[in-house]
Amino acid sequence: MNRMWEAIARLDYAQGRLVRLPASATKLGYGFSLSPLYCQRRHFADKSVRTTRVLLLVLIFLPTLAHAYAGPGAGFAVLSSFWAIFVAFLYSFYALVTWPFRQLFRFIRRRNAYGKATFERAVILGFDGMDPELAERFMKEGRLPNLSKLREKGTFSRLRTTFPAISPVAWSTFMTGVNPGKHNIYDFLARDTSNYLPYLSSAEIKGPKRHIKIGKYSIPFGKTEIKAMRKGTPFWHWLGNAGIFSSVIRVPVTFPPEKFQGVLLSGMCVPDLKGSQGTFCLCTTRASEDRFREGGVRVPIERKNGVCRSYVPGPDNPLVEKAGELRADFEIRPELGSKSARFVFGSEKFTLKIGEYSEWLPAEFKAGMGFTAHGICRFYLKGVSPEVEIYVTPVNIDPGHPDLPISHPVTYSIYLAKLFGPYATLGLAEDTWALNEHVLDDDAFLAQAYGNHEDRERMLFDALDKTRQGLCTCVFDTTDRVQHMFWRYLEEDHPAARDVPHSQHPPVIQDLYERMDRLIGRVMEKIDDDTLLMVISDHGFKSFARCMNVNAWLYQNGYLALKEGKTESGDWFEDVDWSRTRAYTMGLNGLYLNIKGREKQGIVDPAEAEALKDELQKGLNGLVDPASGAVGITGVFIADNVYRGPYTENSPDLIVGYGAGYRASWDSVMGKVTGQIFEDNTKAWSGDHCIDPRLVPGVLFSSHKFIADKPAIVDVAPTILKLFGLALPGHFDGKPWTLAAKVRIDTA
Amino acid sequence: MTMVAHAEAIAAFRFSPLTSPLAIVVVLSLVVGLLMVVLFGYTSDQKAISRAKDQLKAHLLAVRLYRDQIPVVMGSYGKILRGTGSYLKLAFKPLLYVIIPITLLMVQIDRYLGQTPLPVNAPFLLTVHLGEQSSNAKAADASMAVDAMNKVTLELPPEITMTAPPVHIDADNEVVWRLAGTKDGEYELKIVAAGQSATKAVCVGSDLPRISTVRLRGRFWERMFSSAEPALPEKSPIESISINYPDRNIEVAGYGMNWIWLFFILSMVAGFIFKELLGIQI
Repeated sequence: MNRMWEAIARLDYAQGRLVRLPASATKLGYGFSLSPLYCQRRHFADKSVRTTRVLLLVLIFLPTLAHAYAGPGAGFAVLSSFWAIFVAFLYSFYALVTWPFRQLFRFIRRRNAYGKATFERAVILGFDGMDPELAERFMKEGRLPNLSKLREKGTFSRLRTTFPAISPVAWSTFMTGVNPGKHNIYDFLARDTSNYLPYLSSAEIKGPKRHIKIGKYSIPFGKTEIKAMRKGTPFWHWLGNAGIFSSVIRVPVTFPPEKFQGVLLSGMCVPDLKGSQGTFCLCTTRASEDRFREGGVRVPIERKNGVCRSYVPGPDNPLVEKAGELRADFEIRPELGSKSARFVFGSEKFTLKIGEYSEWLPAEFKAGMGFTAHGICRFYLKGVSPEVEIYVTPVNIDPGHPDLPISHPVTYSIYLAKLFGPYATLGLAEDTWALNEHVLDDDAFLAQAYGNHEDRERMLFDALDKTRQGLCTCVFDTTDRVQHMFWRYLEEDHPAARDVPHSQHPPVIQDLYERMDRLIGRVMEKIDDDTLLMVISDHGFKSFARCMNVNAWLYQNGYLALKEGKTESGDWFEDVDWSRTRAYTMGLNGLYLNIKGREKQGIVDPAEAEALKDELQKGLNGLVDPASGAVGITGVFIADNVYRGPYTENSPDLIVGYGAGYRASWDSVMGKVTGQIFEDNTKAWSGDHCIDPRLVPGVLFSSHKFIADKPAIVDVAPTILKLFGLALPGHFDGKPWTLAAKVRIDTA
Repeated sequence: MTMVAHAEAIAAFRFSPLTSPLAIVVVLSLVVGLLMVVLFGYTSDQKAISRAKDQLKAHLLAVRLYRDQIPVVMGSYGKILRGTGSYLKLAFKPLLYVIIPITLLMVQIDRYLGQTPLPVNAPFLLTVHLGEQSSNAKAADASMAVDAMNKVTLELPPEITMTAPPVHIDADNEVVWRLAGTKDGEYELKIVAAGQSATKAVCVGSDLPRISTVRLRGRFWERMFSSAEPALPEKSPIESISINYPDRNIEVAGYGMNWIWLFFILSMVAGFIFKELLGIQI
């Protein structure tokens, strides 16, 4: 390099000699000087040559100008890298220069944010559905050394959950510190009293109100409106108001994301690109009229001359009414010999072997007029012979190009996508429906679930690196999904695993807990004594071996009526005679009265409601399954007794608490009346927690010892605020725990 | 159509906007832009470049997202610098493929577009630079050296006239003549020094001829980039013969600029468009 610079310098000098003649040399023997023309012309004549030479020389050894010189080629690389450095420099400079002023401003406004804090940082790991009994069992077997360490030096306790013990309800309580009557989330679904149909309880998404008509197109004008249905204030907002930074990753019911001081990636309840909670796609050459009961669609593959063509269904065309769904076409060339297939999907070309997933791939759905919906999906090759079958995940919102905000700030999801590559954004990202419908097998499901889990781990560790002070919280769904789908292997005679001898049951849940324990170990290595580590779950888990259709019980006991001649109903109360129906159930635990003036076709006089509730409570409580003699319902709770707050009017009238081993049947959840009240659950979804909340407490582990009487998930928010030295808002229902002592956990 | 009409039609075409230097640079930039982007696409690790760019963007966003946390900001800045290094490293290999053809191409194009021919009747300078032998002679005997320079003679074709007597610059071993061309065309000037002769081509007119500003002895790489004429004989006392052709400035929106800068800008724009159209990561 030095030699090159020397060469350039020599060249410059040589050129310079011609134009910078020494005064003595310009004096000619003939008595006149060189005219300005000489110098000027000579200068210009050599200028372009010199420019070329210098550019070429520099180009070879100095990438920046080299690219510039190559112009169309690598020039952009250099320009953009230069731009990156330049922008970074400006940002850094700005941040550095203004940092003292901002700190001073904060100090004056809020005093020292961490002045009264017991800890510099709180790290909360949420393991959705981690069960205390299983944790104890595995700790006893010595499989969970890190959780055992926390138990010994810090805290291990059961954590009381919410009524009902459903994730969106419990996590909403976790973040707001209030009971559901104050945050308005009672289930995944809520019912529309005008038509008895369900809607998503956490968020309402409405397209732009105004449209401009141009020919067949109706162009939306304005923003999509996303309304949060969850009320209450997450505790990280209180922290932010006090100047304490938070990183919040995938906590359920944080969609739509709200503004606060920190970063947040939304979790459970984020829809897919179709607006559903996850619609997978099975592309197949196999002719079938069957439709999936849950969460999926079947798409035909057309085979011609060895090339197969199909498509990934996307959202409905927003520009043309009744135009149907948008599609992203793809092409497959099966290779029978190698049991693989070559794919062309958009600009992506890749090969998959049978049983292999693709990376997350961009899926673009073009609606016309320049409108494109951006999603991502993964392909999984199920088979190539005799039939070609491909599973495609639900089309997730592209985190690098989000069509809906899934993070705060919006750039946070983009930041994570750039840093780690595309990742699952769907709230229920692990496709339990596909396993239930036998579209995925156990291994394929686990590969998907743990793939998502690893992405989440990367995000957590990045957040730990970036959040040196404040709150860092991350919820892992894997614990919930894997237990839901593989509980059948924990039991000897689960209806969903009777075809597999017990000795051959894989230890999936044991592996899951061990994996979580290793994660905790790695987190413990990252934290110091001034960090509080808390591991919590929103609820525990129990078997789901038997289904119970409460609508069938209501029908058989005269509380629900069907239209003349009907003995069963369709989904969502099709064929229910509302004029003779006094009570109905939909969703997982809610039981509703058909109250006059509230429900559109209500018949129960509000004055008679209390008596009816008591009657139903007595009738259902302790209901015995005649097949086993076990109690199917261990508690029925009247909502007025468990909820208080401004949103209790939206709650169910009664909460049904199923016994261990029981849960609302799949049909009952969907508002269907069947002939049988009890039946076996033969689906892979074989464990559950939507039962009597007293039977499924969550776990509380912490790195420091707390003194608390029957800790509950509602206590977490006030405890964290107290630890950071903040005053507790008066509306909190939870009580802060008392820190016994700050002790150091040996992470070695 | 008469011969004259044919000639006029050809002349009209040759000097039409389509064949003007500006048009040539525009077309060339588009073609080169396309070719180089395609070449870059084929010779680079597109996935790695994409990842490297994404990483850079992520660290940029981190600076923004965590702006209140100085250690994070500074750490991200360091990662940006490191990321830029990796990014440039990835761009270097395809750059090597791109650089060789484009360098050769640009050198050749510069022969045509770098300078304009000498205008008719406009004075220009012919400089003959004598080599080391003469310098040694000068050191040994200054008067002999001056004598050697006095004996350098110039033979001109009839279309080229000398407008002033030669000027000797002893300090640089140079003899300079001021000449002028009286008619369009390409001519040869003959220089005789120490009994050996050498020629130098000169272009007079307003067309787009291939111009060589200098004829050199030896110096392969310099000749490669600067000269369009064969090397002077190794034993010639003359080291170089140069003519000060005027630079060609291409007028764009009232601004004159060297074709290289115009090519640089246009080919960047073309490359930007083509990389988007072809989905190539740069």
